[in-house]
Amino acid sequence: MDRVLIVDDDIELCELLAARMSDEGFAIEAVHDGARGLERALSREHSLVVLDLMLPGMGGLEVLSRVRQQSPIPVLILTARGEDVDRILGLEIGADDYVSKPFNPRELIARIRAILRRTVRTTAGKHPLVVGDMRLDPAAREARIQGRPLSLTSVEFALLEMLLEHAGRIVTREELTETVLGRKLGPFDRVIDVHVSNIRKKLGTNQETERIKAIRGSGYLFVVRAEPR
Amino acid sequence: MKLKIPTLFLKIFFWFWATAIATGISLLITFVFGPGRVPARWHSSLTDTARSSGMIALAELERGGVPAASSYIRRFERDTQLRACLFDLDRNPIAGQGCETFADMLFRAASSRSAQFGVRYGLVRVVLILPGSGGHDYIFATELPAGPRAAFGMDKSAVFLRFAVALSVSGFICYLLTLYLTGPILHLRQAAQQLAEGRLSTRAAIDLERRGDELGALGRDFNTMAARIEELISRQRQLILDISHELRSPLARLNVALDLARGGKAGNLPFDHMESDLVRLNETIGRLLTIARLDAPAVPMEMTTVNITDLLGRIVDDAGFEAQKRDVAVNLAAPEPCYARGNAKLLHSAIENVVRNAIRYTPAGSSVDVSIRREDQSRVLLVVRDHGSGVPEKDLKKIFQPFYRVAEARDRESGGVGLGLAIADRVIRIHGGAIRAENARPSGLQVIIEIPATDPTSVS
Repeated sequence: MDRVLIVDDDIELCELLAARMSDEGFAIEAVHDGARGLERALSREHSLVVLDLMLPGMGGLEVLSRVRQQSPIPVLILTARGEDVDRILGLEIGADDYVSKPFNPRELIARIRAILRRTVRTTAGKHPLVVGDMRLDPAAREARIQGRPLSLTSVEFALLEMLLEHAGRIVTREELTETVLGRKLGPFDRVIDVHVSNIRKKLGTNQETERIKAIRGSGYLFVVRAEPR
Repeated sequence: MKLKIPTLFLKIFFWFWATAIATGISLLITFVFGPGRVPARWHSSLTDTARSSGMIALAELERGGVPAASSYIRRFERDTQLRACLFDLDRNPIAGQGCETFADMLFRAASSRSAQFGVRYGLVRVVLILPGSGGHDYIFATELPAGPRAAFGMDKSAVFLRFAVALSVSGFICYLLTLYLTGPILHLRQAAQQLAEGRLSTRAAIDLERRGDELGALGRDFNTMAARIEELISRQRQLILDISHELRSPLARLNVALDLARGGKAGNLPFDHMESDLVRLNETIGRLLTIARLDAPAVPMEMTTVNITDLLGRIVDDAGFEAQKRDVAVNLAAPEPCYARGNAKLLHSAIENVVRNAIRYTPAGSSVDVSIRREDQSRVLLVVRDHGSGVPEKDLKKIFQPFYRVAEARDRESGGVGLGLAIADRVIRIHGGAIRAENARPSGLQVIIEIPATDPTSVS
């Protein structure tokens, strides 16, 4: 049973969600303020955190950035519809995906399932992927660049894995969204782009060029270069 | 009642006065102290005039000695207010007062033995060698009136110099004055523009605030106004956020409770209705918030070069499902790609609202005609036409107001909330464009959107 942490100051909503999601086989723990949310999110007892950005006291963005300093746990943020700035900031800080509030519970559950599928699915039998100085081991959930370990969130890991599997070929934004986030690409949906930009920052450049190239209007490509021996 | 001294008035008054006085004085000074030369064509007549009084003085000297000559010159000076002096050839004064002022001309006259001319304090000065009857020569020096022509008509370069001095003095003072007056006005104007662009923390500079005149008062009033506006807008923004939060929290709970009640299963009619009403409520709140935000933008919009033709194509594709349900064909005429600078998301929602509105109001079996083209190179012209019953002429402008309803019955049936066109209107206007509606022949409504076009080369 997957344990999900919900950080939201709306106590009644948390109760309803707990009831609804236990029907789907999730164990819910709800906390109602940022400081406690941060403490519980770092307890390693949960598979995923649902984090409302509008929290009294320590705000959601602050909680998120502190969680990200220590943990790659998947985080789904809840944002008020129309608060684009908060949403983009949340994704840049390291949220895996977002759901606009008020939300349809079926959609929330689908998003949670999609992220969990990517992060806790069976990876046994998968071989490490090696492209140039980049090495990604799905079984060990470990990525290294020039031997140096990378700290990636689970969605970033899944995204990079998909790009490496297709290294040298274009992967469309639609494919990436569907495979990595388990949903359709919406209009003006920049989630994948924010994730790619975060990964790029962590990878750094290779001989002054980006390792992940954006193909305007279609998608992204992991650049394979002929290494001089 | 205490009379307030209009300091700016006094400043302007005194500055202009000072300018006029300074110009006059500088003209006078250059006139009086400036170098002067007497034109050669005047020499003979000046010599004649000087000689005639000189000869009388000499005759008086020879007749009655120094006292006679002195009394003649005193009389001459009293009658004409002009100075005159009689010297011997060794330049020793014989008669007259204040004769040392002629010293330099005297020296030149004695050494060259010829008449000398000069100008001082606006008067012509003539120094002559006069032959005495006893074989002795004398030197006679006198001032003669020369009139304004002496100041202006004698030497072109001197005249030019005088005007140049007068012009530059008055020009410099006027420049300072203008700077002093318009500087703060320009500064205030910039501040007002920034405020209008939404930078609400803009204030007039402190040194403007400290001025004691009307401009300083204007600056202080401007800052008071700006602070007030900032406070009002931030309060309104907070109110909107609070309302949004307060309305949406129960909505979020209702959504979950409803889903819980139906046990995660679909296909229960009352529940379906509740759910679609919840969606509608949420959309209405969202649209109201959008309108509030467009009226008082909190953050500057993200602007890019948008391919409007592409955007329109996607909107028409997305609307296809809804159109099919109503048996409506959407025809798109887009002969060329058109670009505009703007916020893609807002433009998308604006155009989508207009297109969906047309699909909603056109009768089943008819079509919605959408066209886009670039007009005059400077504008993108987008026309959406339906074949419905149109709108009464007097209401054509009102359909862009929030919650305006043309026909009650039709709206109930189509479920419109009357916010789509209001949003479109605001979005198009903040993009520097215009949106209007007109009735088409034989029937139908035509919504025309115009936005300033850009070139795709300016893609950032």
